[in-house]
Amino acid sequence: MNPTTSMYVAQGLHGLAYGMILFLIASGLNVIFGMMGVLNLAHASFFMLSAYLGYQVVALTGNFWLALLLAPLGSALVGVAMERFLLRRVHAFGHMGELILTVGVGSIVLAAVKSIWGTESLQLKMPAILSGRVTIAGLDYPVYRLFIIGLALLILAVMTLLLYRTRLGKIVRAAVSDAGMVNALGINIPLVFMLVFGVGVWMAGIAGVAIAPILTVFPGLADQVGMDAFIVVVTGGFGSLAGAFIVSLIFGLLSSYGVQFMSELAPVLIVAFMAIVLAIRPHGLLGARDS
Amino acid sequence: MKRSVLAVVTALAFVASFATTAVRAQSAAPAGYDFNGMPDMSDFDPATWTSPTGDTIKVAIVASFSGPAALVGQVYWASAAWAAHDINKRGGIVVDGKKKLIELIKADHASKPDQAKRVVERMVLQEKVNFLWGTDGSNLQKIINETANKYKVIAVNTASLSDDLQDATNFSRYAFQTSMSADQLGRGLAWYYGQMRKKERKFYILDQDYSFGRLLAEGFKKGLKEYYPDAQIVGEDYHKLFLTDYAPYLEKVKASGAEVVFTGDWIPDAANLLKQARQMGVKLPFAHVFMDEPNFLTEVGVEGTNGLVQISQYGTVGDAFKTPEQIRYYKAWNDLWQTKWKTAPFNTPLFQHPAGNIGSYIEQTEWLFSVIARAKSVDPEKIIKVWENDSYRFTNGKMLKMRACDHKAIQELHILEFVPPGEQKQSFNIRPYYWNANYSAAGPIHAVPSKAILPLMDTNLDRCKGANPAGE
Repeated sequence: MNPTTSMYVAQGLHGLAYGMILFLIASGLNVIFGMMGVLNLAHASFFMLSAYLGYQVVALTGNFWLALLLAPLGSALVGVAMERFLLRRVHAFGHMGELILTVGVGSIVLAAVKSIWGTESLQLKMPAILSGRVTIAGLDYPVYRLFIIGLALLILAVMTLLLYRTRLGKIVRAAVSDAGMVNALGINIPLVFMLVFGVGVWMAGIAGVAIAPILTVFPGLADQVGMDAFIVVVTGGFGSLAGAFIVSLIFGLLSSYGVQFMSELAPVLIVAFMAIVLAIRPHGLLGARDS
Repeated sequence: MKRSVLAVVTALAFVASFATTAVRAQSAAPAGYDFNGMPDMSDFDPATWTSPTGDTIKVAIVASFSGPAALVGQVYWASAAWAAHDINKRGGIVVDGKKKLIELIKADHASKPDQAKRVVERMVLQEKVNFLWGTDGSNLQKIINETANKYKVIAVNTASLSDDLQDATNFSRYAFQTSMSADQLGRGLAWYYGQMRKKERKFYILDQDYSFGRLLAEGFKKGLKEYYPDAQIVGEDYHKLFLTDYAPYLEKVKASGAEVVFTGDWIPDAANLLKQARQMGVKLPFAHVFMDEPNFLTEVGVEGTNGLVQISQYGTVGDAFKTPEQIRYYKAWNDLWQTKWKTAPFNTPLFQHPAGNIGSYIEQTEWLFSVIARAKSVDPEKIIKVWENDSYRFTNGKMLKMRACDHKAIQELHILEFVPPGEQKQSFNIRPYYWNANYSAAGPIHAVPSKAILPLMDTNLDRCKGANPAGE
């Protein structure tokens, strides 16, 4: 491959990897916001919390895989507790109540991480097995980014199977569509929603641990990724994992090729794409529910 | 007779010239830290240090003590408190005929301009501080300087790097910039590559897309034109702050044929940039300002950090410790870090050495206290009179001079070449003979002469019309 072609192919791979990073971050929010209609502004805080928990597990055990297993579960537990004891009480007040509550929870999470881990920047060590590079068609590419791509695809596959091929998934989709009817059939709706919320936070937690080795774990991590997640969810369509996936991919490629060909305008391309999509399809690319 | 008179007159003139020179030399000798009076600092702990109150010299430390940049506030606090504790252990400073201790007050702006305005005004109007010490962020320092000008309180800029803080539009005679500037940093690195190193020629500029990043890059490009005309800029990109993915930029760097990547990125961007570069196999050296945070340098490792080149506001050529007093000064801090400080973040590697930015903040604060001591007053007019044209020597020998017309510090900067631990004794010349065992850090250190990097002087400022930029 000649150097110029190699560079363009590499940028495509980078776009793919970044797209998968965006998908990982946004997928959990998509589940919560899209399926439950809950405006969870603490989503990025759970992402951050999981990164910190992951850092702690690795610091204690040296085992990244254990961190990938335990840290998201830890975040999910906090998320479930938040839904059970706090969020449920403000549903009646609509989106404004949820917004204010989740902002408050986000602040509490921030204060907690600073209190426990301090304000310095921390590093979550990448597992040695994923720290090298592979050669693909003459291109040198970091193994870890391939891992992120694979993990995102796995999450998409698992969630799609869960939602569309299992009884639990049917119940969740039915509950989202018509909670009253499902409740009348004897399904414990609060439990279903709590589970959905927990899964959404768990997915944010997976993203937190998976992405931390290429970033820095610090108190501003939630702010760093929060807006990206919302843009993906809104543009892809509420409740549509497929929409979030496609939009994440497009954003990733716009970002990498934007930097390649018009570096100063690269950040604008994503926002411009969002504006065009929403102008044509106000519910998002593959969105189906009313806002 | 005439010959003997002539001889006597000649002899008298000869003697008088020596006397004049001696007097001139005595009056021109720079102020500096008094090693002889250095007190026992073993009771100092930045986590628990409390300020004296009452009839004190009040200094507001204006910084981010909360929010994402809270660590910056803690760095400033530890540095300023160390300097204040030193003075207080000596009994304080005589002002207006009375010995007074230094009181520090935290003024948290949380990196928000509206909060900065409120908190600085409260410091002046309610707390009645004598000095405003700041801050991280030139937009916030501007607010401090404006408030200082409004209420005629002295403001000291120890950390903001924008030249326009002291330009014709923004100048206040109550504000003093002891910090370096973005322009000086950029030009300093250009001087090093063009006048000293003379090896790499192809540079890629990759900087944050905001005022500091742009000013730094402009300074570097200007410096290359002046000091290294053979150099080539093979690429130039500005990325958003807190960028998640550097890979597209690094791919361009790889394809450009660059030999050095120039960046002013700070944490976390600096960490993410270097980490991702090394993960992608980009092994180029980075010419940088802020790639010195121990945790991420440890993560990148000795090999990944070898060859980095930093421009710093704190350094000395050759051995870092040249006299027993300098060793004593260093150990006073380092011993406490090793044995006494148990509270994060003060017990982390970031606070290990009273060098780098911490060393500079400590000594800039000591300069302020020295000015107060020599003014024998906190009256702003007396402070201004002493400080304008004042020369000060840091404990490591670095010289600074406060240019009278625009209150900018003329100072040399230092280039630190990062080398593996085994080679760090080129600068760290006392046990254990390295700055850090886990990553490459300063080995050879070079000085960029102050005359090569004079701070920009805005001749639209009336006070500076016809003034010598070297402050002579």
